[in-house]
Amino acid sequence: MAVIRDVMPAFDLLQPASAADAQKLLETYREDAWVMAGGMDSFDWLKDRIKKPKVLVDLSGVDELKGIRSTGDGVEIGAMTTLTEIANHPEIKKNYGLLSDAVERVASPQIRNQGTLGGNVSQDARCWYYRAGWPCYRAGGNECYADTPVGRNREHAIFGADRCVAVHPSDSAPALIALDAKFVIHNSKGEHVVDAEDFFVGPDIDITRLNMLNPGDLLTAIRIPSTWSGAKFYFEKVRDRNVWDFPLMNVASAMKLSGGNIDEMRIAVNAVAPRPLRLKAVEAAVRGKPADATTGEMAGKLAVQGAVPLQFNAYKIPLMRNLVKRAIGGVQETSWTS
Amino acid sequence: MDMAAVELTKAESLKPIPFGTGYKLIGKDYPTNDLVAKVTGKAKYAEDFRGEGMLFCRLVLSPMPHARVKRINTEKALAMPGVKGILTPADVPGLADYINDNGTRIKADKWGELALAAEPMYQGEPILAVAAVDELTCAEAIEKIDIEMEPLPFNTDPLDSLRPGSANARMDGNIWVQAKPPRGQAELTVLKWTDEDFAAEKEGKLPMGHAPDEWSYGDVDAGFRNAALVLDETFSTEDVSHQCLEPRTAMAHWQNGKLFLYTGTQSTFQTVSAIARWMHMNEEDVVFISEYTGGGFGSKITGALTLVIPALLSKKLNAPVMMRISREEEHFIGRARPGIRARTKVGFDKDGRITALDMFLVSDAGSYGSNGDGGACGQITSLLYQPPAMRWRNVTVVTNTPPRSAQSAPGGMQAIAIIEPILSKAARKLGVDQVALRRVNCPEGKAEYGPPSHGGKRPYATSCFLKQALDEGAKQFNWSERAARQPKQVGTRVRGVGVALSTYHGGTIGFDGLIIITPQGRVQIQSGAGNLGTEALIDVHRAAAEVLDVPWEACDIVWGDTSKHFPYTCASGGSQTIHALTRAGHAVALECVRRLKEVAAKSLGGQPADYEVANLRVSQKGGGVGMSFAEAAQHAIKLGGIYDGHDVNPQVNKATKKAVAALAGQGLVASAKDNYPHDGDSFSYVACFAEVEADLETGKYQITDYLAYADVGTVIHPAALGGQVLGRSTLGMAHAIGQKWVIDPHYGVTVAERFYQNRPPTILDVPVDMKWNALNIPDPETPVGARGIGEPPVGGGCAAITNALADALGDNIFQRVPVNADTILTSYEAGRPMQNPLLAHI
Amino acid sequence: MSESDDLKQNDGAAKTITRRNFILGVIAGGAVVSAASYRFLAHSRRPLPGAGERLITLYVNGKPRRVDVMKQETLAWTLRYKLGLTGTKLGCDRAECGSCTVLIDDTPYYSCSVLTHTVRGRNVTTIEGLAAADGKLHPVQQAVVDSQGFQCAFCMPGFVMSAVAFLKSHPNPTRAEMAYGVSGNLCRCQDYSKILDSMMRAAEYMRRA
Repeated sequence: MAVIRDVMPAFDLLQPASAADAQKLLETYREDAWVMAGGMDSFDWLKDRIKKPKVLVDLSGVDELKGIRSTGDGVEIGAMTTLTEIANHPEIKKNYGLLSDAVERVASPQIRNQGTLGGNVSQDARCWYYRAGWPCYRAGGNECYADTPVGRNREHAIFGADRCVAVHPSDSAPALIALDAKFVIHNSKGEHVVDAEDFFVGPDIDITRLNMLNPGDLLTAIRIPSTWSGAKFYFEKVRDRNVWDFPLMNVASAMKLSGGNIDEMRIAVNAVAPRPLRLKAVEAAVRGKPADATTGEMAGKLAVQGAVPLQFNAYKIPLMRNLVKRAIGGVQETSWTS
Repeated sequence: MDMAAVELTKAESLKPIPFGTGYKLIGKDYPTNDLVAKVTGKAKYAEDFRGEGMLFCRLVLSPMPHARVKRINTEKALAMPGVKGILTPADVPGLADYINDNGTRIKADKWGELALAAEPMYQGEPILAVAAVDELTCAEAIEKIDIEMEPLPFNTDPLDSLRPGSANARMDGNIWVQAKPPRGQAELTVLKWTDEDFAAEKEGKLPMGHAPDEWSYGDVDAGFRNAALVLDETFSTEDVSHQCLEPRTAMAHWQNGKLFLYTGTQSTFQTVSAIARWMHMNEEDVVFISEYTGGGFGSKITGALTLVIPALLSKKLNAPVMMRISREEEHFIGRARPGIRARTKVGFDKDGRITALDMFLVSDAGSYGSNGDGGACGQITSLLYQPPAMRWRNVTVVTNTPPRSAQSAPGGMQAIAIIEPILSKAARKLGVDQVALRRVNCPEGKAEYGPPSHGGKRPYATSCFLKQALDEGAKQFNWSERAARQPKQVGTRVRGVGVALSTYHGGTIGFDGLIIITPQGRVQIQSGAGNLGTEALIDVHRAAAEVLDVPWEACDIVWGDTSKHFPYTCASGGSQTIHALTRAGHAVALECVRRLKEVAAKSLGGQPADYEVANLRVSQKGGGVGMSFAEAAQHAIKLGGIYDGHDVNPQVNKATKKAVAALAGQGLVASAKDNYPHDGDSFSYVACFAEVEADLETGKYQITDYLAYADVGTVIHPAALGGQVLGRSTLGMAHAIGQKWVIDPHYGVTVAERFYQNRPPTILDVPVDMKWNALNIPDPETPVGARGIGEPPVGGGCAAITNALADALGDNIFQRVPVNADTILTSYEAGRPMQNPLLAHI
Repeated sequence: MSESDDLKQNDGAAKTITRRNFILGVIAGGAVVSAASYRFLAHSRRPLPGAGERLITLYVNGKPRRVDVMKQETLAWTLRYKLGLTGTKLGCDRAECGSCTVLIDDTPYYSCSVLTHTVRGRNVTTIEGLAAADGKLHPVQQAVVDSQGFQCAFCMPGFVMSAVAFLKSHPNPTRAEMAYGVSGNLCRCQDYSKILDSMMRAAEYMRRA
């Protein structure tokens, strides 16, 4: 079979108008169905003709999955809410600015107009070997092509590698973990709700996917509790180009302070491991300490303990150390006097 | 007293001239004739044409970096409904010898590239094409084709290819030996260095084994002996794709034995002969349509070889065939600038004047064809920094990577990227201001460059006012203040400023112009250049209109379709067009004036010299009788002969003669050849200034300011020039800030083939308000005084950024471009450059 | 045994040998293998459903258009190949360049990455729909003409569409804000400075209009 790209394979297009109908379709078609939210990840797989689903379930017509609602104890964001809407939403900006900061830095304006929160957290890895169709572990094979003596792995993992060294590419995921968000999943057994960090799956659990969604599962909403509303937030994304690029790394944190000391903190980083990493050791170590550069430095060093660099990604160790440091101690304002 | 010294005295007194001084059209902004079509979506690029019953074709690319196609089974594919035909390597004619403009037979390159390869030399090389009623059918058919291939040895890293015992990219060799003058073609041969040669690698330096290409002038050893400082630096530039936004899509159909072909090009005129040569056809049987081209940058000089695929399929299937090229395919077949690994030793005296320069290059030629980048790298270094003694050595290595071609400032860009960081380091070590150091090394006037030619004399530039541009630029950029500013670091942020000199060839000579004054009184200018957005296609004719003294509104520019007949025209590549075609335009406008006066004299009496041409009339001086252009055209048709194109100016090229013959009788038809004197070689020059701000904790940096000050001779169209100066500067910046190839050498396979992996700069990666300026001092060796600008800013755009980075971060950060967060983070901590400059495609 | 199997075995050995030998170890002399097996094993070989088209109504540039559309057809394809609106360009077909940007209900989208079937009943505006019926250019178009904005212009329709949408909601942008507004569009002539000049002029024209 010779290979050709950039022609989408034919599929049956199913366009449910309700979440229940979508749910039923996913149950019916299971492995044969491809769920499409905004499509920004899906189209690459389809146009590369690596994935050829029998049916495509397009969620864009399911209005009940769209929109942001106050719940009294936080907000609920429909999985099909666009990143642009989240970035501009007054309540999110005011109380959960960490998330608006994060989604504002995703890709490009057009992609944010189309890309959804559900899609952003459910997207697949961007390892260039895996995405080009190499028969690697993640694709069901028995090899990692990135982790060889000459493999090109500048953008790959320094933590959590288990045969696969791909990283999770989402910008919103660490912010949602830091905000202690809950993911609402529907399937034939009904609704169940998981903590953000538990939604993501490393290769040690299942090497062929990045999250816990099974065929038939539908991510319907993400709930952000008011626990961290108005906390001191920090989000930073480091990427090569200022538009389009996935993160070389990002960090998201939420801190509650009293008198300059850290009462409580949640912090997560992404693009360092096959799943977004919540840094629990850091969270514990900084409790009660001043939110300053010294604590930040200590935390940064702690965060990178156990990191295993590949040939071309050793820079991720100082980068992670520094991003964690900045999340705690902040960044000095640059004001050139001349 | 030498010539350069004479020029120097004169040049020192020259000051910038306001644009448009002394002209009605030249130097003034105006909306180019193609603009409304572009902005309303009416402009047609190749993929916008349609044919009755048009089929689509799609390509099959080689999955292997080097292999032999042993067997192709297309049976199942051909049996599918909607599949119309398959083109295999066996269907593609070999390369033909051809006769060049001087009548010399050029032998076909036996290592030359064909549209479909039976022995693909790189992963991504087209090996098969399938035509069907739609692309979905093409794709499904392709997936039913079985291709058996025999893998062959390969090598994707040029330095690896020189190691003892390593695989050669081609069965019969791994390096090109450059053509020896006076004429000749590059030859493929085998070169391996020894383990001893490679010993330098352990110290992070480029090994220097035997290099087949070499020249030198002056006493290099003495230069180093007398130097106050000698630096020996290894530096690499990356292979960078052209990534034209319009892929090299092509559409073809046949009618009455004639091939009609639509694709983007950098020369409507010159692409016809390329098509004819590739198709083994007569030029008369080719009609080439290329109204708009979505970027070229050197990769579409005469279209693209792959255009023969739809042409052949269309002929075979007797239907129009559209071959859309996808972005991924474009990555492979779309050409790229060759990366160069360089080791350069430079001696400086205490003021920073270079005393000697020894340059050693390993250039990556990719899979097909030698290239001139290594050679140009030496020449441009020699011109731009005027080393009194210089040696250049080069080895051009074949690799199983996508083919290279000229890319804006080929070789020159790499030269400047390689040399400028050394100058910056020297200035810091010697305690000399960066601008001052460049000033003492700056070329001037009829500056010499390169080794002596056969006659024993060194070639030289037509003129150079770069020193003025450097001074004016330094003023506008507030260089002295910015360079002295303190502090350089606040918190984790550091800032730095950089300056870089830049140059490249700025024009050729000897082309033709062709103008028709129509019986309706319009001035119809036949333009055979390519329309790739520089607007040179149209701007050059402002010179003709200026000489004819006609309002621009009376001029019609005809372009984009060879059935409309064009004169002998340069390709819009190598920054030739403005120079070459303002000369040709000037010549043909004068010819027009002469013929108008003759027509008037013959019809109204008196001598031609009694007449003058102005305001679309030819009239007797001092207010006597006269006639309008419309009347003159009608008279010219009556007079026939030389006046309406039935006879032709004997000086013009044979192609122009053909065009004139075809247009004969349509009005006053004038043609002329650029025969103007031209002492020296034309170059343009730019002084580039940049400011960067870097964050030490993230390794991220932003270019916060940029100014390019150009010496391009007379400014023809300021807005278009500004677009070129800054656009091509940014093309250079892209090499500094991110564009690259990533190839897995174990499999010989590209892993970065999409924009988000190769990283062409976005609008947020460049300063929000970039500045440009130009001296507008005319070049004395060309009638309008204008030189080209496409290439000259590219190297400076790259090096101003790397120099600013080194100012901010020190000299121990990078030995290669691009410089990214990973480069900075690892090197800044280690205190030495941590990215290996010798590894390709990381 | 396929080439890939060969490669895997070589890889296993490679971990204990030098990089140099590792690279050279790739070549299996003389073996003839299927082109597909070199690296692409992950491809699905499932038989395909038919490529049936369905007649739908689209609202493009203010007019209803009846058109046959395949299930997997993108809006860019429908516009260019079914409706003859070739002003919308395909530069990458992967949401990476912005040349195909159109407005759907006044919001810019990459039409290469929108299924046509998902925009039934929504208003699609393309570059061809900006000028008035009498040919009078939209202020953004006029500003481009007056500033000699863009070079090869393959990216131009996309940029213009982004700018039209952005300026509606941001009539008074700073230069940096304007750049952000059109940041989802790539220009390979890298004429960003002149593009921003024309967009700032466009802002002025739109405020006046």
